[in-house]
Amino acid sequence: MNRFAPAVSRGISRVTESALGPYQSAMIRIGFSATWLLFLLREYPHRQELYGPESPWSWDLAQQSVSGNGAFSALLWSDGQGWFEAVYALAVLSSALLLVGWRTRTTSVLFMIGVLSLQNRSVFMGDGGDNVIHLMAIYLVFTRCGQVWSLDARQARRARETRAPGQPPALDRVGIALWGVMCLALAAASLTGRLSTGWLVIFWGLLAVQALWWVVGSRARTAEPRILLDVVANLVHNAALVVVMAEACLIYATAGWYKIQGSRWQDGTAVYYPLNLDYFSPWPALSHLMASHGTMVMLVTYGTVIVQVAFPFTLFNRRVKNVLLAAMMTEHAVIAVVLGLPFFSLAMIAADAVFLPTSFLRRLGGWAARGRAALVPGHRPGLPGPRQPEPRSGERNEHTHVGFTA
Amino acid sequence: MDAYDEGPKTRPGADGPPGEPAGDGAADVGAGPEGVVSDGAVSDAPASGRAVDDDAEPDTAVRGDAEADSAVRGDLGTGDLIDPRDPGDLSAPRDPSASYDPGDPVPAPGGPGPGQIRGATAGIAALPLRSQVAAAFALAVVAVVTFVHLGMVFLHVAPSNTMTKQHGRAIDDWIYPEFEQNWKLFAPNPLQQNVSVQVRALVRTPDGISRETGWYDLSALDGEAIEGNLLPSHTQQNELRRAWDYYAGTHDSKNRPVGLRGDLSERYLRRIAVMRLAREHAGGAGAVVERIQVRSSSTNVPAPDWSEEKVSDKPVVRELPWWIVPDSDREGGLTEVSAR
Repeated sequence: MNRFAPAVSRGISRVTESALGPYQSAMIRIGFSATWLLFLLREYPHRQELYGPESPWSWDLAQQSVSGNGAFSALLWSDGQGWFEAVYALAVLSSALLLVGWRTRTTSVLFMIGVLSLQNRSVFMGDGGDNVIHLMAIYLVFTRCGQVWSLDARQARRARETRAPGQPPALDRVGIALWGVMCLALAAASLTGRLSTGWLVIFWGLLAVQALWWVVGSRARTAEPRILLDVVANLVHNAALVVVMAEACLIYATAGWYKIQGSRWQDGTAVYYPLNLDYFSPWPALSHLMASHGTMVMLVTYGTVIVQVAFPFTLFNRRVKNVLLAAMMTEHAVIAVVLGLPFFSLAMIAADAVFLPTSFLRRLGGWAARGRAALVPGHRPGLPGPRQPEPRSGERNEHTHVGFTA
Repeated sequence: MDAYDEGPKTRPGADGPPGEPAGDGAADVGAGPEGVVSDGAVSDAPASGRAVDDDAEPDTAVRGDAEADSAVRGDLGTGDLIDPRDPGDLSAPRDPSASYDPGDPVPAPGGPGPGQIRGATAGIAALPLRSQVAAAFALAVVAVVTFVHLGMVFLHVAPSNTMTKQHGRAIDDWIYPEFEQNWKLFAPNPLQQNVSVQVRALVRTPDGISRETGWYDLSALDGEAIEGNLLPSHTQQNELRRAWDYYAGTHDSKNRPVGLRGDLSERYLRRIAVMRLAREHAGGAGAVVERIQVRSSSTNVPAPDWSEEKVSDKPVVRELPWWIVPDSDREGGLTEVSAR
């Protein structure tokens, strides 16, 4: 016990004092919101057929199906055309706002509501990519995903720069207004009996926590309650990040271990078959070319299984992990084009991104900032780029944000 | 257990806080809560609180680090100059810019008075005992929920086993509806047939004559829409394909529905077929679709050139009974607009 005690207390200290992986959490925030946003925009002409009241999976069918399992979907609150358009627009808007990191505490919840509402409305329209986004949209709510590369971070930095030492933070009017609007919307949904008890507890709980956060940040006379809230928020963030990483590992482990049991993955021909399915060959000539060399097909088949099975274990070794990560991202990029699964692939790449090394992500951010500075003259390069090493302090000053907490 | 890369551990300075947490954070996040859990979740809370408190005790160490921090503030970006922090010291602030405290107007360079926060400005070590107990309780709750959730998801995706047979109900209650998932991607074996769903109709033309149309190969139409398409729509790639899978999964070989879902899947498939027929103007202008018949035609993907395997190239046809189309199916209006 004595040998473990220091390690345990060191661990506890780390998971309570900061929200770990700020760049990785920003990556998954950007990755999943961008994937969902692009999907919604691409499907805009098809939105009626996918999720509208007159979809082949009609509102009545969805209602009957969902009444059996209690899945959450705001689209099932009304079969009106206007309501549908409003929810779709909200889904688009929340993805865009989460992408740029505006009030991530609130927009991450709205993003989840949008994802769940559309996907649970029409469960048979989705594929694996939708499934990943569904899960990650829920987990994102619990992360502090706006610490870097976000408007939140920029706002926090500006507030810090303009504030005299010892002054309390300025009143956050936008945040309070946003919180008020959310309260009204939730009250309306509650009073009309649209929400199950579980969701009522979750949504009201999130609003209450945010109010508490704000009150403690501006009124408390000592730092103690604020630090305590910060500790809890860090704990929740860090746990959510672990869940995201474990979920990615479970995806690969499941995909890999089940493949091992398949005769086609054993005899090295498995990859040949999807390339010959009409639904997954948008470029038949390319597919046939790739499927025409037996040895190549076998190498790719075995390679896929090896990488998928091995990936979770390679987390113990940084270099091997990075090599496999690059291999998987490349394979997904190829799948996007060759099998015609762009949004599935994008979602998987976003999930993979949670394992990218911080040094690489910081370099990536630097390139992005320089690229923007080159494109937009007058911008100071590096602002609000990722080079500012103060994600946690940014988060600390965020406590006046009103919306939802994580 | 390096889930992420990190800079060398001897550089906890300027680029430490954002970069470093990602480092062996994965390991620590996992190890921390589990350590507590294994000792007996909630009842362990005061003990772990005390452990941290002990570490926070020596004020001098904290103050020493606070001085180091002011040096950091002086030259951000040259973290290399700072001595590595004593790894045993938990209470030192890690982020130099975080030392300002809105709730504590005077940052108190000297020793903070009793009841005030000692040196550290973040983390459990920065809290007095009663708050540490609360934080430890939160830690225990978060750890338990995380642990249980991951266990449930694992059992949900795992093959049927002793635990899932004994506690299947509890697992399903936790997972459904929002955490349902299936990652058997092309596994255990990829699909090895092209399943084509086709439909024909009995239509009544405006002059009152009933006639039967030919077969429309809806899957082939999907295929045409997908071909050469960088961004295939879910309506082309998933809608009909998954509707057919749903139907096949909820009907026996004699096309008898199994439960409520059988009925739902039948209505769904029928509505898709009617919508697609309308798009193809089946029966000509003004014709009304009165009945439809759906069939599937499954053709094996031919064995690879290099293989000696022989598979039949004869399609297997499954014909469903004629269905009467209710008016409600025709009122969709999702014809031209969403056909793009």
